[in-house]
Amino acid sequence: MAVYHADALVIRSREYGESDRLLTLFSREMGKLQALAKGVRKPKSRQRAAAQLFTYGEYLLHRGRTLDTVNEASPKESFPHLWNDYDRTLAATRVAELLDMATIPGQIYPEAFTLTLTVFFLLEHFDPYLLQGAYALRLLRLLGYAPRLGECSECGGALCGPRLFISSAAGGALCLTCREQYAGRWISAGSMALMRQLLNGEMRKLDRLRWNAMMQQEILETLRAYCEETFERKLKSWQMGSAAVEGGGQDRDGKEGST
Amino acid sequence: MNFLQYPRPLADLIVALSRLPGIGPKTAGRLAFYLLQQPEAAESLAQAIREAKDTISQCSICCNFTDVDPCGICENPSRDQSILCVVEQPRDVAALEKTREFKGLYHVLHGCLSPMEGIGPDQLKVQELLRRLEGVREVVMALNPTVEGEATSLYLAKLLKPLGIMVTRIAHGLPVGGDLEYADEVTIARALEGRRQL
Ligand SMILES: [Zn+2]
Ligand SMILES: [Zn+2]
Repeated sequence: MAVYHADALVIRSREYGESDRLLTLFSREMGKLQALAKGVRKPKSRQRAAAQLFTYGEYLLHRGRTLDTVNEASPKESFPHLWNDYDRTLAATRVAELLDMATIPGQIYPEAFTLTLTVFFLLEHFDPYLLQGAYALRLLRLLGYAPRLGECSECGGALCGPRLFISSAAGGALCLTCREQYAGRWISAGSMALMRQLLNGEMRKLDRLRWNAMMQQEILETLRAYCEETFERKLKSWQMGSAAVEGGGQDRDGKEGST
Repeated sequence: MNFLQYPRPLADLIVALSRLPGIGPKTAGRLAFYLLQQPEAAESLAQAIREAKDTISQCSICCNFTDVDPCGICENPSRDQSILCVVEQPRDVAALEKTREFKGLYHVLHGCLSPMEGIGPDQLKVQELLRRLEGVREVVMALNPTVEGEATSLYLAKLLKPLGIMVTRIAHGLPVGGDLEYADEVTIARALEGRRQL
């Protein structure tokens, strides 16, 4: 099979050589792939659009000795909203980085593909950071790391108090007795409840959920640490705060959703 | 790749060449053997590299590469000091200068925001830009039309607009001489967005 076909999302696109881009594609049929898109940094290239980060398209790939190359490509969706808004770009970047970190080449992940594509579409109107949180929790579940957030992951006992304990090593929340044996972090009961909704709520209704800046920070920080510990790698874009832009996060607090 | 079959200095040269962007181990090997067979070329290359490394630095105002500080463009009194054009790389300044269309000053960021690669505002010449805004009326974003380039333009616009500075972006559109029907939807959408009255 020298030539093969992939229905894929570009989750990474790096400058390579003189005028090429090295793409990381996440495909429905074959999981994660790397491919070289030649000449796509020249203005006349016909594959330029398909080689951009966050593009969803059809790719015809040629198997090479060291690297596969893109023979033909036609973009199906280029998600203009991920180009026009800094917070949406950042949230999509964090989604892509997490997916890249959590998956390995040669394995297929059809559900993770659908989840990622759905999130890219929903990013047009939904709070980008709520989506980012929901994505992380749902991806963990799809990959077999579903965090238990409703009861103690160790003994199944009830969680109580205004502050609750969560540990990636235990695989979720812990009661006051069981938490002694684990490293982890404290979060508010409200943040824990919201995380349950982000994990279990209907995806298309996520935008009805509300959070304040403090909960947002607490949840995203908790999820970053949880994912980094689970996959034993650092999430660079998750450490880069949206707070880099003053008021970037606050703009969306209390904004009415599509309800 | 294993270069142990070569004498150490030759292996070192191949390794050093293969670290250059766009050069793989095979090309590096070819270049190394060429240089050994052409001692004069090797000598003048070594000298040129050393001299450039010793005399070229970043302009303390615009961060472009220069052999005098401030650079010739920043020091040129006939250039419009009230308009700055922000670019990613020094080579972009050269590309814009070739057109002779732009009469203002430049600011070179040395990259663009790329959170996935860990490149944030602190890794770019953003503070240097914010420090030179006195008397600046307009900042033109001339970054690459990629997701990261756009994100960087949006980020800088958020910083600059509250200071009362007009922030513009060069038009993104169809390449001259290209057929409209071959253009992708993003390019066509951008070209429409940047339309002008005739
Ligand atoms: Zn327990
Ligand atoms: Zn200068």
